[in-house]
Amino acid sequence: MTDITPNGITPLPPEKKDIEFTSDSWRPIRESRNVKEGTNEFNQAIEGISLNQEAWRRLKKNKMAIGGLYVIIFYALICLSAPILPIHSYKKIILDHQYLPPSLTKTAGDLVYEKKEFRLKRIAQKQGRNFLNDAEKTQLAELRRTIETETMVIDGKTIKTYERQYFLGTDYHGRDMLSRIIYGGQVSIAIGLVGTFTSVLIGIIIGSISGFLGGKIDYFVMRFVDIMYGLPYILIVIIFMALFGQHILNLFFAIALVSWLNVARVVRGQVISLKNSDFVEAARSIGASSRRIIFKHMVPNTFGIIIVFASLEIPHFIMIEAFLSFLGLGISAPFASWGSLVGDAVEGMALYPWRLFFPSLAMVIFLFSMNFLGDGLRDALDPKSKNRL
Amino acid sequence: MGKYFIRRFLGLLPTLFVIITISFFMIRLAPGGPFDEEKAVPQEILVNIEKKYHMDEPIVMQYGRYLLDILRGDLGPSFRYPDHDVNFFIVSSLPTSLLLGSMSMGLALFLGIGSGILCAVRQNTWVDYFFMSIAVMGISIPLFVIGPVLMYFFALKMHWLPTSGWVDSRAGWITVLMPVVTLASYYFAYLARLSRASIIETLRSDYVRTARAKGLSGPVIMFKHVLKGAMLPVVSYLGPAFAAIMTGSVVVEQIFRVPGLGKFFVQSAFNRDYTLIMGTVIVYSIILIIMNFIVDIVYSFLDPRITYK
Amino acid sequence: MKKILIAFAIFALALMPFGNAFANKGELIITNGAEPQGLDHAQISGVPEHRIFFSLFEGLISANPKDASPLPGVAESWTVSNGGKTYTFKLRKTTWSDGVPITAKTFVDSWLRLLAPETAARYAWFPAMFIKGAEDYNSKKGMKDVVSIRAIDDYTFQMDLVGPLPYVLGALIHYSFGIAPLHVIDKHGKDWTKPGNFVGNGPFVLEKWEPQKQLSAVPNPKYWDKDNVHLERVVYLPTDDNNTAYNMYLNKESDWATVIPLDQLSEAQLSDDYQSGPYLGTYYYVIQNEKKPFDDPRVRKALSMSINRKHIVEKITRKGESPALSMVPPMAGYTPSLGDAENVEKAKQLLADAGFPGGKGFPEFKILYNTNEAHKKIAEYVQQAWNENLGLKVTLMNQEWKTYLNTRRKGDFTVARAGWIGDYQDPNTFLDMFVSGAGMNGGKYSNSGFDNLIKKAASMEAGPARMAALQEAEKLFITDDQSVIPIYGYTSQNMINMNKWGGWYNNTMDWHPTKDIFMK
Repeated sequence: MTDITPNGITPLPPEKKDIEFTSDSWRPIRESRNVKEGTNEFNQAIEGISLNQEAWRRLKKNKMAIGGLYVIIFYALICLSAPILPIHSYKKIILDHQYLPPSLTKTAGDLVYEKKEFRLKRIAQKQGRNFLNDAEKTQLAELRRTIETETMVIDGKTIKTYERQYFLGTDYHGRDMLSRIIYGGQVSIAIGLVGTFTSVLIGIIIGSISGFLGGKIDYFVMRFVDIMYGLPYILIVIIFMALFGQHILNLFFAIALVSWLNVARVVRGQVISLKNSDFVEAARSIGASSRRIIFKHMVPNTFGIIIVFASLEIPHFIMIEAFLSFLGLGISAPFASWGSLVGDAVEGMALYPWRLFFPSLAMVIFLFSMNFLGDGLRDALDPKSKNRL
Repeated sequence: MGKYFIRRFLGLLPTLFVIITISFFMIRLAPGGPFDEEKAVPQEILVNIEKKYHMDEPIVMQYGRYLLDILRGDLGPSFRYPDHDVNFFIVSSLPTSLLLGSMSMGLALFLGIGSGILCAVRQNTWVDYFFMSIAVMGISIPLFVIGPVLMYFFALKMHWLPTSGWVDSRAGWITVLMPVVTLASYYFAYLARLSRASIIETLRSDYVRTARAKGLSGPVIMFKHVLKGAMLPVVSYLGPAFAAIMTGSVVVEQIFRVPGLGKFFVQSAFNRDYTLIMGTVIVYSIILIIMNFIVDIVYSFLDPRITYK
Repeated sequence: MKKILIAFAIFALALMPFGNAFANKGELIITNGAEPQGLDHAQISGVPEHRIFFSLFEGLISANPKDASPLPGVAESWTVSNGGKTYTFKLRKTTWSDGVPITAKTFVDSWLRLLAPETAARYAWFPAMFIKGAEDYNSKKGMKDVVSIRAIDDYTFQMDLVGPLPYVLGALIHYSFGIAPLHVIDKHGKDWTKPGNFVGNGPFVLEKWEPQKQLSAVPNPKYWDKDNVHLERVVYLPTDDNNTAYNMYLNKESDWATVIPLDQLSEAQLSDDYQSGPYLGTYYYVIQNEKKPFDDPRVRKALSMSINRKHIVEKITRKGESPALSMVPPMAGYTPSLGDAENVEKAKQLLADAGFPGGKGFPEFKILYNTNEAHKKIAEYVQQAWNENLGLKVTLMNQEWKTYLNTRRKGDFTVARAGWIGDYQDPNTFLDMFVSGAGMNGGKYSNSGFDNLIKKAASMEAGPARMAALQEAEKLFITDDQSVIPIYGYTSQNMINMNKWGGWYNNTMDWHPTKDIFMK
């Protein structure tokens, strides 16, 4: 990777001003930049690899991005196949299995017994004994018997209740954390992707049109954006939920409703600064329509920043959902999302750290991957990043 | 240019007016009213209360009355806290929010843009990965987790800091540390990501290549040319971000008991404290509009290609 | 980021040796929950406000810290006449904190102010339940002379009640029967509660009030019983976040935590400072009695009988609550009428009798609750219990507080979570809200037999006959009709170190007047 130290400066080919523009003027330049070093950069006859293939080739070389891609595919597979995975139900409440720590080897029975024993010892300690009295020993013996004999029926099969295993521990209702994280992932990933997609799409369209056309239209669109920012968001969500009911689709919509504002502002800023650049002038001079200039020429040039923004928006959406869940406006129980799992766990952080740790870990790994993939895509799609990889 | 300023500045007023108008009518759509409580207030008493606050008048009259009050600088009495006026709450809590906000924003800008530059220059090295990992964590861990985790560690475990409070007689200035760091973490992460991407973009642009070709030194290019161009997306993000951070953060304020304005944004909505909601909306909108206005001005300085007519 | 944190930590270390050096001698710091609405007794309506009221004001009657029973306050003694309907109070000679004397006229004027329609006091309904003519005045059906209260002389105050209400003395402790310094209010208007302007008659007087930050009070030198006030200062800290409040207690930044987060309970309960006792309140599920098929008592009974309340209190709420089968918690002289205990087999049978064997054909319905960890946990459990035991399809719906209240008032729900805290220690406070058409009767329960019994009890003097009538009413309401599903009786939860503080007792109202608290 070159840097900007003087030593790293590579001599640039002299700028050529006398290129002949065709109606597709911008595209050939872009592709021409992909030619290998040594060939004429402005050789229009370049053939072979298309832009997408070229981007894909560059992406494959970026190990972090590909790693991220694999992780995301893995997440997607797990979440989509959740109903057929051999995991416990995400909503089956077994109160006897509350707050069990994660364990790869021990069964629920072992853990419950250990927990009870520990608790009794603590109580004994508090009373100034360092042994268990008979009543407590009987309690333990009874518990042991229950653990060995109790059965329950799940899906028509009779199984021993205490032989269940919870790799990531259980929550306050004795529900399997692993399963809740997987099902929560469905919700959070969906909210992140759907929300980002809609808000970025709306943001790009409105931001670029406003920035490009400028003048009165720009002025009014931006004032509209200001107004949307100014309205009390929590109240909008409350009203929205009250009018349309607390459904997950409504939640998507309520979140997307205001989230396009940031994207629109950023895209507009980029478009304004690109508006007077050479390639736009060129396209305009050969009579390209505004729509064509905006969506064929300018928007692709803002992709770099948009992708980064999108990779910031995904966690932002997951956070908004978490915040709304925190306020009680999010997803409704017994469903879970990563945000609601994390939110539920904060209070008991010191006593039951796994309830906070695993959902956070799942979320952070996912967002890491998204992030590196986003960066990789940005680099790969960037027309200027030829001979960089 | 001067004409543009004046036009823009006058343009703020209609925007504000529209926000006030929409909010005024919208907040009354939310189910439940300011005086609903667990033990239902009997109808006769509700009539008395509504009369006291002129809520028995037609809504248009209430609106007109409210506009007149605002013009006189009176935001009305709070419904939830009858001992105080909305003006009182704003005057007493906005400075706290401004202080918390500017400290957090300062920290976030310094660290965010600093690490953005560092990562861009050392792209795809361990330095880059390290800072970007921290940034991803900052974005993906909610404030309502970061706050309690800091509190648990620094206050309960290590006893280095008091759990909460804000510059009070008991604990002094040390109380600002955790709220500022918590609030800054999110903006730091955002700014770091955004400025890194933007700087990388700019480093590849023609004018930087030209500058390099002219043989200018790295730091000169970075600070004279690259940063100027690269700050555009950062600046357009900063407008709303400033407004949001300056008017407080409900999560940080609740967790650390910071007596700021942010709490009122959420609590007034939940309490249906109409006048207080309007008060917060007005304060927020004014700050936001001014910030966005400033952003547009800064734009024209950063990018000579943008002209205002 | 990490570096910065470490740097900050070092900075912090260098700045001050922190730790547990907060407590002053005799200074009691209370984490008081939400920001108080105000100090004017005519404008407040919540628990945090009530705690402050106890410090700054005193009415005719004050509360015994041991059991929340009535003790003489500004009234030295009283006599009851006219079949329990007229109370005559002899007032002690005492003054406001600015030296202005408190007389019987102060009470008359303060109460009239609270009842006046222009004041628009939210709790005006409470005195209106007791005092003859108060409701008429408050709802503009009469002028202020219809209110049956009078100053016989400077230090004799008399009031007439709407009936022989034996629980009135306990009710007089409530802030809506408090007094306000009208001479100060005339002078400062709304600003009278600001420090500097403030005048009170309680054991403490306002020292400082910074909203959202703290409210502190110091002993009132003009208080009649000032020799028995021990604390140097009482500080109320508003704490919106329960977790923070509890952490402050753990970190010794406060002396009395008034809430304990659910997930911290198992640790808290091992502490010596954990204080818990029965609290006069019932947690229940209210059923919309008019909606089909919930209009059938067999369906309601089936729902009630298929919940394991013991599991709920022992494993979910874990605060030592008592499983409840009755709406009224047990009280002195009253034995509640119980509904049927848990019996899944019988519940299935009842549901089948009502036409839904195995839950077949039963419409899907929702459990409504307001946003809160504990409510969510219980609702999730009940959802599973009804699904597994009765085969019913149940979904959960949570709403934020005001939306929830609105939905519940309108009766726009099927099953909703509810809770009721008694206003005074008498069964009536748990029953009279369910009479037909009452404002708080969102479940639309309607039974003329029940209505008559409540009305009858209201006109009876204290004694076993009155209690029997109330018990009969509850039998109709719960045992026969199972209009609501009681789940458990509340407990109070506090953290306070009893080795350090004295004069603090668990009681069923969770009232702990600061007057009596002292540092050991």
